[in-house]
Amino acid sequence: MAEAGVSKGILKGVIKFTAILGAGFILLAVFKKMLPLPTEDGYRFFPLIGSRDWIWIVAQLHLNFAAFVLGVPIFAVTMEYLGWRKKEERLDRIAYDFTKLFTLAYTVTAVLGSIFLVSLPLLYPKFIDYMMKILGPTWWLYLIVMYGEVFVCYYYFYSWKKMKDQKGLHVLLGVLLNVLGATLLLITSAWVGFMTTPAGVSPDGELLSRWAAIHTHMWIPLFLHRFVANIVFGAGIAAAYAAFRFITAKTPEEKAYYDWMGYTSAIISIGASLLLPGVGYLLGVEIYSFNEQMGIQLMGGFFAWLWVMQAIMIGAILFFINYYLWISLQKMPGGERYFKYVKFLFIVLLLGYAVWITPHDVALSLEEARRTGTYHPALGKLGVMAAKNTAVILSYLATFLSFAIFRMSNKEPTVSWAKTGHRARAIIIVVSAAGVLALGIYSYLVSAAVRVKVLSPIQFGLFFVGLAALYILDNYMYKGAKTIGEPRWGRMPERSQYALIAITVTFTWLMGMLGYMRAGARQYWHVYGIMKNTSPDAFLPTHGYASVVVTIVTLLFFVLISLVFWSIMKLEQVVEKRRGH
Amino acid sequence: MKKGILKLAIIIVGLNLLFMYIGLEFLPQSESRPPKVIKIEEGISQDDLIHVGEEIVFGKGQCMVCHPAKPEAGMRAPAMSTIGAETEKEAKERGIKPEEQVLEALVNPSKYIVKGFEDIMSPVHTAPTSLTDGEIIAVAAYLQSQGGKVTLSYPGSVPILKDQISKISKAGGK
Repeated sequence: MAEAGVSKGILKGVIKFTAILGAGFILLAVFKKMLPLPTEDGYRFFPLIGSRDWIWIVAQLHLNFAAFVLGVPIFAVTMEYLGWRKKEERLDRIAYDFTKLFTLAYTVTAVLGSIFLVSLPLLYPKFIDYMMKILGPTWWLYLIVMYGEVFVCYYYFYSWKKMKDQKGLHVLLGVLLNVLGATLLLITSAWVGFMTTPAGVSPDGELLSRWAAIHTHMWIPLFLHRFVANIVFGAGIAAAYAAFRFITAKTPEEKAYYDWMGYTSAIISIGASLLLPGVGYLLGVEIYSFNEQMGIQLMGGFFAWLWVMQAIMIGAILFFINYYLWISLQKMPGGERYFKYVKFLFIVLLLGYAVWITPHDVALSLEEARRTGTYHPALGKLGVMAAKNTAVILSYLATFLSFAIFRMSNKEPTVSWAKTGHRARAIIIVVSAAGVLALGIYSYLVSAAVRVKVLSPIQFGLFFVGLAALYILDNYMYKGAKTIGEPRWGRMPERSQYALIAITVTFTWLMGMLGYMRAGARQYWHVYGIMKNTSPDAFLPTHGYASVVVTIVTLLFFVLISLVFWSIMKLEQVVEKRRGH
Repeated sequence: MKKGILKLAIIIVGLNLLFMYIGLEFLPQSESRPPKVIKIEEGISQDDLIHVGEEIVFGKGQCMVCHPAKPEAGMRAPAMSTIGAETEKEAKERGIKPEEQVLEALVNPSKYIVKGFEDIMSPVHTAPTSLTDGEIIAVAAYLQSQGGKVTLSYPGSVPILKDQISKISKAGGK
């Protein structure tokens, strides 16, 4: 694949995509003729597992791959740019490896997209007809942009080596690829935005304004949330790939490279995830302002326990990444000086985790609602937003400290004010932690509106200011610092790589669950408040059932992504063999 | 190497099974089905009307999502246990009948916002809640019963309800 000429590579790619898409359209037409007519209210039924579960599985798998192929180019091009400006070969290599990954994953994404394209209009014809009536032009725009994306993607990949002396131009190509990717994301977010927070239509569903139907409450916040989440997820998959390559590496050089790749990807993933609560908050605000009932139902109603599940998973991710960073101290000469802090960080994480997974009381029956009221009598005080926000922020602060310790552990500052700098470091940590805690306690005393709209943003703001201050201070203090020794990349126990894989598995499962919650917010509506779902599947299943489906999707995703990893290794072997000859 | 890959596979499958197990065993298992229309007989007794209203408030009406059962700090919406008494007081202040006040609060909630709260409620007669006339009157009767005097009946109060709904379209309400 990497050895093909540029035009040949692009042509191959475009033909492949046209064939996949064409097969989708042909199958759609054939099945439409073959299958019985839909029911009066516009449904066909998928055998054995039912239409809803089939669409659920295909859509989520397609979404996972789409997130991957849209997320990875963002940091691939960033790495390429940094490698070019810093003249660092290793950064260019990692950017190329990332590009190899998403270019191959494009095919799987397209195949899944085509299955989705065939399934949805066949199983839900009335709903799709309605969506086409309202947002049809955006679908054709989507197809055009997708072709542009395919063209630029293959151009970007196949021209890597040929354009090594025109790096500026090649980086621009990467930027264009990301602009097209972001446009695709904007279009698809408009579809979901309309289904969940519809606008621009009359109460009986007639189109009043197409632009209003696109520019819904959810549109931009959902796009931003997905954009950041795609980086988190894409980097997570890249970390998993690096872990897989580390474990299968045969030489110390390979081990060193993939160890570094795993570390870089994991830090990008966790670093970008710091933005998720902020963009998630924006999304939440828009859902609430569209319909308070939907917002509360999502946050504290039927789905309340899934937020506890989310807490279990993000808490686990924080433990995995901290564990990875703590193990990583072993490869840093001088890292042993910081072992003593690990137990304190562990305690903060543990306490934060305990508070975060404490459930808000959720009454499941009329009887229970009467008996307990809105909050659990004993744990209610910890199960509310005031406590949880505080716990989450402090856990993230502890994680950042693990990262800062790792980054600086093999260095000794040489500036004259190093002692004052260390004191300032401690003051920043204590002040931001105490500030977050104090605001959290004060949150109990104010109304929900003040807590959500004023105090929560201040808490997150304080956390980010603390992070920025620490980062800037460290950069100044460690400028020209004495290096105790270079990191011993590759000298990591295998269990560190299992932590990286665990992060990615947990992210994928979490993404599946949150996708279900976002779709479930519509309850028994195809388009909330406008088009009712009257199929036998028009209900929200039990959390256990949803967990089974999400597990199936995650396992299928890992089977498919393993095939992508395996294919890359095989292709590399073929290229190596050819070079050998 | 093979051992390493096997361990990776075990971690992937193991974590998935663990999350599935938590979902199956540690989370409450209930489905959320679309609400059914509750049939209310004409001439239903006041006690039965209040009882039906209570069922809707705690069920398909989803009122408890925002309204707490008893007053508490930081509540989003007025507490249920005192809502009848409060509504009577508000009606008196505004110089309208208590049944007008309570029905207006359900179908045109933006018209009058109780001090200290925000305009967050959606009308209950339109989608997505879509309660029928009888259901709305039953809910209103239950609300009145929480510390106030119940003055509503079905179908006797339907004209007052219709009047409140017609006021929204005239004013081009929410």
